[in-house]
Amino acid sequence: MNELGLEAAILEPKQTGRTDPDAVDATLAASGDASAFERLYRSHVTRVYGLVRRMLSDDDADEVAQDIFVRAWQKLGTFRGEAAFGTWLHRVAVNVILARRETLGTRRKRYLEGDAVLEMIPARRPGPEMAMDFETAMARLPDGAREVFVLHDVEGYRHEEIAEMLGLATGTSKSQLHRARMALRQHLGR
Amino acid sequence: MSDQWMNRLSDYLDGELPDGERIALEAHLPGCSECSAGLADLRQVIARAQMLGNEAPHRDLWPTIAQRIGATGGKPRTVDLGSRRAAARRLSFSLPQLAAAGIALMALSGGTVWLLRSPAQQSVAPSVATVSSGNPPAINAAVNPRGNATQSYAAAVADLEQVLASGRGQLDTTTIRVIEQNLAAIDRAIAQAQRALDADPANLYLNTHLAETMRRKLDLLRQAAALVPVS
Repeated sequence: MNELGLEAAILEPKQTGRTDPDAVDATLAASGDASAFERLYRSHVTRVYGLVRRMLSDDDADEVAQDIFVRAWQKLGTFRGEAAFGTWLHRVAVNVILARRETLGTRRKRYLEGDAVLEMIPARRPGPEMAMDFETAMARLPDGAREVFVLHDVEGYRHEEIAEMLGLATGTSKSQLHRARMALRQHLGR
Repeated sequence: MSDQWMNRLSDYLDGELPDGERIALEAHLPGCSECSAGLADLRQVIARAQMLGNEAPHRDLWPTIAQRIGATGGKPRTVDLGSRRAAARRLSFSLPQLAAAGIALMALSGGTVWLLRSPAQQSVAPSVATVSSGNPPAINAAVNPRGNATQSYAAAVADLEQVLASGRGQLDTTTIRVIEQNLAAIDRAIAQAQRALDADPANLYLNTHLAETMRRKLDLLRQAAALVPVS
């Protein structure tokens, strides 16, 4: 392992039969190659941007997405290649998003208990006859439920990972997910 | 009773339910339309979530990012070493050194990285022109035989490393550390790219990366050597 921790970043081609181009670019970027980092940006910006929009809001998306890539550039030395670069970048993104949320103080009724989550979405609906886009319904979930739902059902994280990232008990992550799903259930087909 | 199971439906769908509860729930479902409907709905919710696409930003965010990471000039941050010493002199290279670096750079930028590859692969590629069809004949002649390019690159690197080693004591430790870290990272990137090319010799992406990475090593060494004061 070198000083930048990048030796494992390139998958051994003889074992895998192919090389992860992201890992090559991450290695180059860690040594200061901005062009390589731009390639990584181009490859991942859409997914990162989607994560930001769903975890925060459209209003903050541009600025936070930029913050994420700047943070990733600064932290490239910690990328060990133990996971795919995209996975590592997502973890960086989630951390930046959560920090931003704390900074902005936008958390509202985080990690509600009981059926409060279920009650919030109908209360926010523009009207019973008006169709609500699934994304809009997601956006109206309380922060805690939305975070868990996005991370689990949209991004594919496991409860254990979510619990670690968000500082929750695994059981809380599970209960928030169920409540989010039950709330969104009401908006299927509308 | 049904509510109790309704709250377990997500765990059931995610495979998180203990065996005993799973079996009990599966026995309950056929006789409970509420839970069955709930289960079907939750499956739809999950499917919808998994089908969501991602929308690209409405504007290109890269220019701002590039500015914030100091890459607006297209220079990698290792190059910033030069700015550490505003009055740093430019090192004068001997003609052979310049020629060696120049030849190596021409060879590399022409996509002739295969020249530096293993003998087995070299035998597959009989001439520079076969892999660098865009090169003019003059350049092909300049880099052929392959040994000259390899040796020229190695010589240029060795010369610059020697300059750097001789001036090591005159540079501050932070500068030395940054240089060595970056050189180590580049060397590993070169080695890794070479290994990857062993498995996929025709991969243009890898060839380009290898050439670019080797060029960057020369650039870094040049700039680092330029920091060494004249004795």
